[in-house]
This record gives sequence, C-alpha cells and structure tokens, in this order.
Amino acid sequence: MKTIGLFIALACLSIRATDSTAQTAGAADRAERLPPPAETPAVPSPTDEQQRPPGEETIDEAAIEAEIAAQELSGEAQVRLDAARDSVVQIQGFFEGSESSAFHGSGFAVEDGRRIVTNYHVVAQAVMYPQQYRLKYLASDGREGPLHVLAIDVRNDLAIVAADDLELPPLKLRPDIPAQGERAWSIGFPLNLGLTITEGVANGLVENRIAERIHYTGAINGGMSGGPALDRRGRVYGVNVSVVTNRQLVGFIVPAKHIPALLARAGEPLEKQFSALQLRQRVTTQVLAYESEVLEAEPSGADTQPVRGFVLPTEITPYVECSTFDERGPHVRVRVEVISCRVPSQLSVQSGVPVAGLTMQHRIVRSAGLSPLQFERQVNDVAAETPRTGQPAHVAPFACHDGLVSLDGFDARISTCVRQYRLFAELYDFSVTVVSIDDETQALVSRLSLQGVAFDSGERILKRYLGALQWKP
Amino acid sequence: MLVEQVGALGHPILRQRFSGAGAECRVGQDLDCDIVVDDEHAAAQHALLTLLEDGRVRVQDLGTHNGTRVGGKRVPPDGTVIEQGEIIVGHTRLHVRTRHTPIGQERVFRREFVQKYRTPLAAGGVAACIAYAGFRQWLNAPSSLSRSLITGTLITLGVLALWTALWSLMTKLNKGRWEVRVHLTIASMGAAFCAWGYWVGGLVAYAAQWSVLAQVGVVVVGATAFVALYLHLREATRYGRHIALAFAGASTIVISAIAWVIAVGVDTSDVNRMDLGPDVRLETRRVVPNRDIAEYLIEVDRLQRAAGRERQKSLLDAPLADAGD
Repeated sequence: MKTIGLFIALACLSIRATDSTAQTAGAADRAERLPPPAETPAVPSPTDEQQRPPGEETIDEAAIEAEIAAQELSGEAQVRLDAARDSVVQIQGFFEGSESSAFHGSGFAVEDGRRIVTNYHVVAQAVMYPQQYRLKYLASDGREGPLHVLAIDVRNDLAIVAADDLELPPLKLRPDIPAQGERAWSIGFPLNLGLTITEGVANGLVENRIAERIHYTGAINGGMSGGPALDRRGRVYGVNVSVVTNRQLVGFIVPAKHIPALLARAGEPLEKQFSALQLRQRVTTQVLAYESEVLEAEPSGADTQPVRGFVLPTEITPYVECSTFDERGPHVRVRVEVISCRVPSQLSVQSGVPVAGLTMQHRIVRSAGLSPLQFERQVNDVAAETPRTGQPAHVAPFACHDGLVSLDGFDARISTCVRQYRLFAELYDFSVTVVSIDDETQALVSRLSLQGVAFDSGERILKRYLGALQWKP
Repeated sequence: MLVEQVGALGHPILRQRFSGAGAECRVGQDLDCDIVVDDEHAAAQHALLTLLEDGRVRVQDLGTHNGTRVGGKRVPPDGTVIEQGEIIVGHTRLHVRTRHTPIGQERVFRREFVQKYRTPLAAGGVAACIAYAGFRQWLNAPSSLSRSLITGTLITLGVLALWTALWSLMTKLNKGRWEVRVHLTIASMGAAFCAWGYWVGGLVAYAAQWSVLAQVGVVVVGATAFVALYLHLREATRYGRHIALAFAGASTIVISAIAWVIAVGVDTSDVNRMDLGPDVRLETRRVVPNRDIAEYLIEVDRLQRAAGRERQKSLLDAPLADAGD
C-alpha cells in the first residue's frame, strides 16, 4: 500500500503574482539579470571591501575567492545555462489592459526555433478566456512580443506557442527517459526572480501513475513551469511541470517524447481556428479521454480491505493510493478509523481547477459507551463534515438525492450530490455519502468524491463503489 | 356606574361616571346620547344602561338590527342585569363597572382554562422546556446526565426569563406576580411545543425518509410560534384581535428570518453545500422498505438534469466572465 502523504500537497507550479511587492521585485530582477551572473562572484566589489571591519586581513581572501569562482565557472550548471540561455523565454500572461503580469511561466524553443514548448497550465487562462488574457514572451536579450497558442495537450500538460517574429536557437530533444541517478538540470524563471538553473538527479518514471512523469530530485519552483529539463549533453529530456509543496526537492518532469506529436499538430494559432466554445470542447474531450482511462479502468484484482466486519473497497480503479490511520473523533468517546484512498488529479483545465480526480474515505465510527441516541448524533456529525473543495467561479451548487438502500449485508442511507462545472458543461463533481444504519455501536461513514468526470462515468464508478461495500462479520 | 369606551388597542379612550339610582346612559350615534359612538354599525339610539337601586346595571337593547352584546351574548328584548362586564355596541366596546365590582389587578381572561389552570400550565411548560434543553445537551455533548440537566436548566431559564421580561416590559403589566405568570405560562408552552415538535418532526421525517417532511416540520414550528405569540397577545395584553394578528405575524416573520439566516446561512449559492437528507437513526425499525442499488441509481440518474438546472441558475446569477459564445 503506497502512502498518499507525499502527494497530498501536489500542486501546480504556476503561481500567480498578485501582490504588488512581487511585481516590483520581479521588475528589479529583470534589470539585474542582464550582466552575466558569472561575473558577480568573481571579484569582491569595493562596497564589500568598505563594509569589512577594520583589522581583518583582506589581501589573500580576494585571491581565494577568485579561485573558488573560477572553479564554479567551470561547473556544469554554468555550461548548461550558458548554452540554453538564448533558447529560454519567460511567458507572461496579462489581464486585459493591465501592465503587470497576472501569471507567468517559462518556455523554450525547439525544432526550427520558431516553436516554443511550455506547459498547458501556464497558458490555460489565455486559452479559456482569450478575450481577457493575452500572452507575452520575454527573451533573454530583452526582446518581447505577443504569443499565440498553437496546440495544447491537456493530458500531458503541454502546449506549443509561437510569436510572429521570434526565432531562437532551438534545443534538442531526447526522447528516452534518463536512467535513475543521472545528473540533470532544470531551467526557468522561478518566482519572477530571473533566469535560474537548478541541479539535481533524475529518478526515472514515477511508478503507479497513469500520467507519465519523471521524478526529479532538485529544486523546482513556481514560474519554472514549462522550462526545459536538461541532461548532461544539453538535450531536453522533459518539461518542468510540478512539485510537491512542503516537501524537499520532489519535482516532476513531463517526458520529452510527448513533444513531437504535439509539434506535428501545431499549425495556425488556436484562437484563429476555433471559437472559445469549440476550444473548451476540445479541452473537455481530452479530459474525458484521460478520465475514462484513469478512473474507469478495471483494477487488476478487486482489492478490498476488511475492517471490523466491513469489507471496504480500496482499489476500485488502478492507480489508487491508500493509507489507514486513526482520526480524532468529534468526541472523546467516539473512535474513528479511516481508510483514505485517492487517485490524485494530475490534470487542470485551468489553474486551480483540477479534474479527473477520485477520493474515497471510509470511516469506521465506534462508540465507547455512548447511549445509542448519543452515538447516533455523533455519527450524523461525522457524516455532515463535507469537504469544501469547489470555488463559486468554477462550479455550480450541488443537486442532491438521498435514500435508504440495501447494500451487500447491510442497510445504509446514501446521499448523492452532483454539481456541474460552469465553464465545462460535460464535467461534473460527484460526492456520495454512505452511512450504515444497522448497528448502534458501530457505523460506517464512507464518502466517494469524484472531481471533473463525465456524468455517465461518474454513475458507473458510483455503481462499482456501492457494489463493493460489504458487511461480512 | 363607570362606563369606559375602549379603543382598538384595548385602552380606555373615554370614561364617564353616572351616579344615583335610575341614572340612565344612552349609547348610540345620535348627538343626544350620553355616550356618542362614531361607529357605522351602531344605531342612532342603540342601547340604554340604567343604574338600578341595588347598584347593578340593566342593559337594554333599543330594538336595533345588530343587537347589543354583553359578555359575548346578545341581550334579550327585556334586557339583562349585570354588575360589570363588556358591552359591545356595533363594533364599539364599552366596559361597565359598578361599586359592586371588585377592583382587583386581575382582569378578565378571555379563556377560562388559562385563568383556572395557569399555575400547573406554567409549571408544565417550564418543565417541558427544561427537559428539552437537558435532552439536547445530553445528546450533543455526551456527558453525565446531571450535568446536562443543570446546563439545560440554566439555558431554559435564561431564555424564558428573557421572553417573559420582554413581554412584561412591552405590555407594561409588570406590576403584579400574576401577569408574570401568565406570560410565563404561554411562553413556556409555546417554546416547549416548538422545540419538542421540531425534534419529533425530524424523527417522523426519518421514518418516512421523505425529505419534504423536514420542511413541513419547519412550517409547523413557524405556525406554532405564531399561535403562541397570538395567544400571548390576546390573553396577557389588552391588544385587540387585529393588532395581535399583525404583531404576531410580524414577530414570526422576524424570528423565522433570523432562524433561517442562522441555519441556512445567507449565501444560498454556496457551491459546497450538500443536502444529505434526514439524519440517520441507528437500529430503528424502518417504516419504509429499502430500495436496492439499481432502484437508487435510477433516481441518481435524474440528478443530471437537476445539476443542469443549478448550473443554469448559477450562470443567470453570475454570467461567465468571457464565455466567448
């Protein structure tokens, strides 16, 4: 059983710079970025000299520092960065007529140098709201201009963008996956701090995940999304995509082998080819294809877990990660055991709207000497703790239906709530709460939540889930 | 003999004293009458009150179409003799007192049983309120029964004291012990009935698994509150029927609005709010036979349309920023 803890905080990199301080800091950084960074550590500046307390020896130190700097200059990171510097651009999104960027990420030139690869989530807002957001590139030599989106791959979180008059030295792609332990670098514009390179180790493909991702042990930060991940020979083996927040250096890279197919599709700018509605339909189609593959796939073996007489489904689809733990109950005389399972959503149709996710939490609530009426109250309280995941901008309110249903070996109240996405009429959220009503000392409170699925597919998963719940003392 | 004309609010608007055996008081629209009423339902010469030698009053109807009423009963053609009471001429109310009338603080109750049983009623109502509060306390925060009862009692007494004090202040009848008791009786009965009724309503809703019942329960609670307030105004104050109705109605609406805001929250378009249906009751014998999964899933299928309606509503409420279509 894999622990889900690591993935709980999986978050997309795209960070919206919203506060003004970040904006001004970013502008200052752009100015600083222009002189080659190699020069900065080379010789101590006169100001450093003046600040040094009197009496301290200074003559030898300068020489030592120069020596260290020379060694650093010959470092591989420096070579990689210099080689890629001109190929990487910062991609900025602007809200309507605003002068300060609403979001930003990175991108790099490939093929003939006219096509730029980035992440879908970097440009998602501009694809979804073409009349509200515009994209701009900012090259290392200071050039800037408008960008158009040519092709998107929601599933692999990739997009091809291009500018009318921009031609950059292209980077070469490496279609295979680096071996585990291979030295690797990631380049991008983290947190609007200017072009940055980080060094780390590629750790091969992540296991048990439907969307192919290379695990990169190295720093990736918001704003580096869409930047190239380079190997020792300067080839791009993938695209920086996401990071596990609040953990140390766990990053994910989309393998480069998905790029050529997308490049082949890239033609005219999307906004010229399709209306906004058609674009949304294309995005939905990609999401639903992914969703049916991930969530509706039959698991290899019906994996269940017996807990205190209940047999509870854990792997109702493959790629489920489960963990079991004790939870503090609503009262000291109530014990709660939790089996928490989820298929982490790796897909965002726009920033902050993850789709095609599944969460399942079984809670066994046990009474420690409470009277049946009191226990009943506590069980209802546990059941009423509903997750608050939706945002009013993205989803409509729930429509619910409840009823008493005979399941395998026990009776339960089942409440099914469904809500539709405002922008994507074919996507739904499901939240199903099952509460057993047979026993007055122990109850099962189980909840299945589906994020961004087709209605039919949601119904099928619900049926599979309800069919798998069992009381078998 | 003291004759008082009573206004719509139940307060005297005119007082007139007549003395000496044989003193007469004519009531009617005519300016010749001793008490001139501005009432289109009254005759020109409507009623005649005569002070008898024994100090009582003879009330006679002067052959009118609408008649004259004493204590709710129509006066017979030969008249009726009273010591005191309420006389209705057309729509006008007159109070008559004589020297025989015991002038106590206590006024006539409209309903006899409240007058007769007010002490047991008050005790019963308060006990029911305390029992409910104690029960809720015990149910929601499992602790020992005695502690729950103490907390429950304190909460109840606080609520009832507030209610009674407010009414006493409003009706300016806070002079004697009996008024407080009347307020307390009706307040406690009303509160207890609402509270227990709400809980029992939840039980019934579970038994039938019919979510609408919960809403019916809320309506019943609202109606109970309205009746309690109306009775309160009629029994314990001098307000007339229309004022009492208006006051009770307005108060019910205000109380319901507050309760609704607390329970539902102001934001009805909360996208995370789920209606899970009636609370579960463990180990209860079920009234309604259970459905099987297939049957339930057919009903779930209809949710697609319901969710679509919610989306339409949401889009009408707040159109998409840049739909582009």
